[in-house]
Amino acid sequence: MIRRAAGVAAATVLVAALTPGTAHAIDQSKGKPGFCADGTGVTVVIDFQQLGGTTIVRCDPQTGRGTGLDALKNAGFQIAGVQRWGEAFICRIENRPSAVEEIPVKGNEHYQETCVDTPPAAGYWSYWHAGNNCAWEYSQWGVKNRDFTTGGFEGWSFSLNATADSNPVPRIAPVRPGTAGEGCTTAAEPAPSSNDVNEKQPGSAASGKTGGTTAAPGAPSAEAPATTPGAPNAGPANSRALPPPKPRPGGGAQGAPDPAKNVAFTGGEQAPDVNQAIKEQAGASDYAPWVAGAAVVLLAAAAWFTARRRKRAREG
Amino acid sequence: MSGTYFLPRDLHPMAWWGWALGLAVAASRTTNPWLLLTICAVLCYVVIARRADAPWAMAFRMYAYLAAVIIGVRVFFRIVFGGAEGSTIILRLPEIPLPAWAAGIRLLGDVSAESVLGGLYDGLRLATMVLCLGAANALANPKRLLKAMPPALYEIGTAVIVALSVFPQLAESVQRVHRARKLRGGAKGRRFRALHAVIIPVLEDALGRSLQLASSMDSRGYGRAGAVQARARLLTGTLMIAGLIGICVGIYATLDGSTPRFLATPFLVVGLVFGLIGFRTAGTRVRRSRYRPDRWHLAEFVTAVSGIGVAVALFATSSVDPTNLNPSLSTLSWPLLSWTPLAGVLLGVLPAFLTPPPALPFETEQVPEPEKVPA
Repeated sequence: MIRRAAGVAAATVLVAALTPGTAHAIDQSKGKPGFCADGTGVTVVIDFQQLGGTTIVRCDPQTGRGTGLDALKNAGFQIAGVQRWGEAFICRIENRPSAVEEIPVKGNEHYQETCVDTPPAAGYWSYWHAGNNCAWEYSQWGVKNRDFTTGGFEGWSFSLNATADSNPVPRIAPVRPGTAGEGCTTAAEPAPSSNDVNEKQPGSAASGKTGGTTAAPGAPSAEAPATTPGAPNAGPANSRALPPPKPRPGGGAQGAPDPAKNVAFTGGEQAPDVNQAIKEQAGASDYAPWVAGAAVVLLAAAAWFTARRRKRAREG
Repeated sequence: MSGTYFLPRDLHPMAWWGWALGLAVAASRTTNPWLLLTICAVLCYVVIARRADAPWAMAFRMYAYLAAVIIGVRVFFRIVFGGAEGSTIILRLPEIPLPAWAAGIRLLGDVSAESVLGGLYDGLRLATMVLCLGAANALANPKRLLKAMPPALYEIGTAVIVALSVFPQLAESVQRVHRARKLRGGAKGRRFRALHAVIIPVLEDALGRSLQLASSMDSRGYGRAGAVQARARLLTGTLMIAGLIGICVGIYATLDGSTPRFLATPFLVVGLVFGLIGFRTAGTRVRRSRYRPDRWHLAEFVTAVSGIGVAVALFATSSVDPTNLNPSLSTLSWPLLSWTPLAGVLLGVLPAFLTPPPALPFETEQVPEPEKVPA
């Protein structure tokens, strides 16, 4: 009995030592709210479109290069990938669409995003990018396969029941305050040359090992080529996955970006705590893992005792 | 009723299989380590509390080893082949450069906590499912299972049961040879010779026993074609196998959320239809009687329902809150857990208390109050 109690106590201490850390909302320690003030870093725009919710604009002030994923993370956004592709396919941004939210995609009015497999083409986060003062461009590259444009913009816009031609453009003009009218100087990105999901934008930080801290030589030149967000071409199974990469006429269709048409946006200062929200939505309890741990320890102890009793009985 | 309910006896093998498969289905639905560990603990406790003293029951330990190996291999592969998914680097290994044609494969390099945890959760899930299989094999008597097969399923059922009991048989052989070696003593330390001295007798034993089993089944009339025409047998066999393949694909697609949906219900239905037709054609020509068949009593019902209940509980919760069952690894945090799936999993421990203990030779004299047994 004493040994059993000691075992339970030891396990309790162990579990206590490993207790979960605290949750956090948009990581305010990373990035800055609002547009980037100067030509370093990259501004990230999250437009929830029909999902509802105020558009968020934050700045990833990192100098040097990085992938689209780096920009998103370093701006402080909390994202979730899909199980199948990991973070190569962004499934949720700031817990939208959440697991309990019903999205009326075509053919399924009550679709719930579980982030297991590639989200349907009728409801996913479309990935955009733009140089300063340039028009938004639908990315032909995956988020991990291209570099953001220093001084430019990364846009995420929830595409609901849209086609490759009607994907909604982020409703924030890609113009840093005070630079309106300077004109677009960023060259268009070359599209991927193959269907290989692992193809990286040539010369990008993405093609190196880590995105990050190395100084960018001649930053603005090669902006990111675009993949369809995520890993769309992989696997024949996801035939209905994503719209095929479709280059957009740079600047033509939308004309010169006009900041006057911007929708209201915030810097995400008031954004709800994502981990807290998930916890509430899932009905998770702080005590449940403890009970699970206690049950495991109790059952293991009981099993050990039963086995010993039986062994003794057998031997004599 | 309570007088006879807890009298030591062996449960119907199908009850244990139902229970174990229910737990396996539940395990396949989640990668939450809390739930998976609880399922493992439940399995271990029920097996130890309710297994008989038979050789196949002792093979559970082998399944536990296999499960541990699975987890180890999963984590190891994550470390060796590109474990850099995620940003928390815990180990920096030198990356081995590979030629261009091996693009997409990464050897060693940075290892992140996220990818190691991903491998751990994934491995834990598979290990739990293997443990479920082990529990079913340890608790259910394979010979009685064969007896309980419906006559129409004899041909396929025999093959399946022989296949299922191969591993326990091997495990038992290993244990026997090991014990014999220990009794003989000597030859310690020389690993290779020891391996040699175990493997040869085990393989020989397995072969010998298979032949023995085959001849004994033959002499009991298994595999007897009777007066049925070869064409009819071919038709029945084809129908049965097509049906079973359809059912397998359908069940797999139903359980695995990421398989295209058109594989799920249509395949299951078509497989069931084929299987039932085959079942019928086989059943009309097979006439077999059974000697003292196992009965399906309340205890069997409780066992099967508790296992299936676990699966249902996890299915129900996974449609409500998938986040709990598949913890996100994009930000490192402790996996969340809510009460419903945990309570559901703990339902699986009921058979350890609510079933009669197995009839053990060494406990027969300890059976309490035999006078309570109605005559």
